[in-house]
Amino acid sequence: MGVVCVYTFPVPEGKSGQQVVDSLQRQLELLGAVKTANFSVDCETYQSNNPTGAAQRILHVLHNSEQPASCFAILDNGTTLVADVLFEVLVAKLTQSKSGKDGYYERRKGLKIESKGPRFELSDFIVKIGSVSMASNFKGILVEVEYCPCAIPGECWELMKEMMQSFMGTVVENPPMAVKNKKDQFYTPSDTVAQYLEHFNNFRKAVVNQSPR
Amino acid sequence: MAQSGVTVSIEAVHENQIQEVSLDGHETVIPPLSMSECLAKSAQKIDFGEEDEGIEGKQTSEEGTTEKEESAFQPSLWPWDSVRNKLKTSLTEIGVLLDVLNIAKEKKYMAIVQVQQDTSEPKSALQLLAKKKGLNTAASVLISGAERLKRSQEEKGGVSSHDKFHIELLKLRQNWRLKKVGNSIIGDLSYRSAGSRFWQGGTFEVTKTTSLPSDQEGSTAQQYPLQVVIPSELEGSSYLQLEIKSVPDSMDLMSVTLQVPDGFGRTPLNAHWQSRLDTAQNVLFCKELFAQLAREAVQLKSNVPHVVVSNQIITNIFPGVQLSIVLCHSTGKGDKKTGPHSGKMDHKHVLEHSLHQLLREVHHRTLHLAAPHPVTAPFGMSKRRRLAGPTAMSRSDLKEMSDSETLLEQIIKQARHEVLRQRTMSVIDRLAGEIPDPQIMAHWSCLNSPLQSNVKIIITSNGYEGMRVTWQSLDLEIGVDGILVTTKDRRTLKLSFQEKEVEDIIRWQVSQHHIALSQNLARLIGWQVLSYNGCSGVGEMEGFACASSIQLVAPNNDRMLSVRSGPTSGLHVFLKIDSSGNLDPSLSSLVDPKWLNLGGTFRELDLEQIEGRNLATKLELIMAMVNKKR
Repeated sequence: MGVVCVYTFPVPEGKSGQQVVDSLQRQLELLGAVKTANFSVDCETYQSNNPTGAAQRILHVLHNSEQPASCFAILDNGTTLVADVLFEVLVAKLTQSKSGKDGYYERRKGLKIESKGPRFELSDFIVKIGSVSMASNFKGILVEVEYCPCAIPGECWELMKEMMQSFMGTVVENPPMAVKNKKDQFYTPSDTVAQYLEHFNNFRKAVVNQSPR
Repeated sequence: MAQSGVTVSIEAVHENQIQEVSLDGHETVIPPLSMSECLAKSAQKIDFGEEDEGIEGKQTSEEGTTEKEESAFQPSLWPWDSVRNKLKTSLTEIGVLLDVLNIAKEKKYMAIVQVQQDTSEPKSALQLLAKKKGLNTAASVLISGAERLKRSQEEKGGVSSHDKFHIELLKLRQNWRLKKVGNSIIGDLSYRSAGSRFWQGGTFEVTKTTSLPSDQEGSTAQQYPLQVVIPSELEGSSYLQLEIKSVPDSMDLMSVTLQVPDGFGRTPLNAHWQSRLDTAQNVLFCKELFAQLAREAVQLKSNVPHVVVSNQIITNIFPGVQLSIVLCHSTGKGDKKTGPHSGKMDHKHVLEHSLHQLLREVHHRTLHLAAPHPVTAPFGMSKRRRLAGPTAMSRSDLKEMSDSETLLEQIIKQARHEVLRQRTMSVIDRLAGEIPDPQIMAHWSCLNSPLQSNVKIIITSNGYEGMRVTWQSLDLEIGVDGILVTTKDRRTLKLSFQEKEVEDIIRWQVSQHHIALSQNLARLIGWQVLSYNGCSGVGEMEGFACASSIQLVAPNNDRMLSVRSGPTSGLHVFLKIDSSGNLDPSLSSLVDPKWLNLGGTFRELDLEQIEGRNLATKLELIMAMVNKKR
């Protein structure tokens, strides 16, 4: 497992998301990257059903195609659980309403968000360009770059920044929060997923901000 | 010409009797009988009693007449009563007959069958013969039954053969699974219950011994009350033979010689059922093992092609080394034609046993799931797969995990390790015998696996083992494909399967030992080391590795020893004695004796002539002798 940085790539006015993705793809191919497969990261949100009226807890369940056997569950306070994919079945059971009573968790419809796109390999780097969509509405572009050999962010951040700036430009200035907090510790897949969740939440908030218009 | 007007009338003849003619000529005719009267008259004429027996009939007719006489005094219906009764009975009888006929016609409940006609009686002679034959067969059946009864009565021990059968059956049940199907007892000798998924099943039948013991054979054949019937394809005995042989490089796999399994004894039919069942089970196991190996050999995509020919699998494990797995199955029917085999069969019994163990492991894995798992869930994912989720394994990790090794691959690995180990062993032993000077000792590790062995080779000089510094030690880690060598100074070298490489390494270490020994001896005795060269670049080139050399000088500075040892060039010791004797006596007062040491030539010493078991003692002797006080 290497170090992963996820950034949103801004879509300039007048251009469609697909065009931006294509241009990024062309740039990568010029650099010598090879397309290996497609990837997908998706997120579903669940809300707890507290009859006593206590504070509502939100649970996010994410999948990453890079770790096909795992399922990530993140609470609103940041606690992360890495489990087998069968965890979804458990959550589904929790969501079920049985014998008249409502389930413990309730799925919040319309908030399923996912990032899908091609995956490129460029010697030690893996670059993924994902188009984010929520209920088949295009929201933005997320670019993920992974540097496989190193697992400690503090040691490879500079190298990654240089590599990313070569095709992404000035978007990359500061390391993501998850990377910044773990400069000297081992980087884990749950950190990647936390980065994705942060971006997804931003996209959702953006929707809310835009909707009154 | 028909003339009209003439009427012709036809009248019936008056048949009615005229009762009286009145005075006025009116005839009073007896009215003709009405239909019922006519019927009554006719009925009276019928004698219903005639169908009964004649005597009775007469009686009834008499009764009938009396009845008729009596009936004259009774109303007119009376004469019909008997008639009515008779008609009623006849009606019921006819009704019954009708029913019978209907039922017979339906052919469901009754059928009308022809009565066989009696043939003419055969001749009495034929009859006699037929009857005699019939009696004879009946008699023989009875006699055999009586004999059996007599036998069972006469048996000693008080246990009847019937009980003996059950006691044997109990013993059989303690070892094998039996069940009763209809009238017969069927058993299962396959490995199905142990986890095997082989298509061929082994069912055997248990029968009682019914044949009488034949007296001609004598008492050599022991009779068992129980007989086991084994399916024909599992008869005889079989074993799997694994052979590793080196073949010349030019020979390719296609021109291999087919093995003819040598005839080995079969278990005779009247052997104990346990041994027969055991051999049959072994046959089934060997079949399954060979079928699995053959299937893998065909399906496996590897660099080296595997050849499967009827009952043999042949593959090259190293260039020039061939592994052959043969399934030898002798049905035991007249196999004595194969004479004594030329050459000893060099099977690898350990590898054959290993094959058996591997298949048993496969069986075990199908049945047992790695802990922890609930008792009610015997199937599921392996432990690694279960951990894959929580540890967020990537796609490549999962893929690596899913590839499991086949039986053939495993046995090939073991065979390769076996070959490497044998070769290394033989090389070390040979060199230890060939090289007398330093002693070569090999310490093999007790803990080793079928895929890895370790050996530590220590080279010392006899009598000087106290000087640990002079030891040369090598660690050889013998794996599957090659050998990893770690020298004393922790350098690692990777060797391939060639035997010569191990030999080279050992020879080189021997030469290093000579020099290290010289160095330490010098230190102990008091000579000074002028130069030590672990890898000298001068002098003739060695075939492999490099030579090392050392220069020693005596404490009085008047003698110099130079030792050079190389793996191919051997050991050479040179001595320099200064030419102080040749000096012009006139110069001796002017020149400092120490300058005299600069000149002189090195002369080689013939080590064979010097007394001493090894270099260490010889050197010691040389140094002691040569060290002369001025």
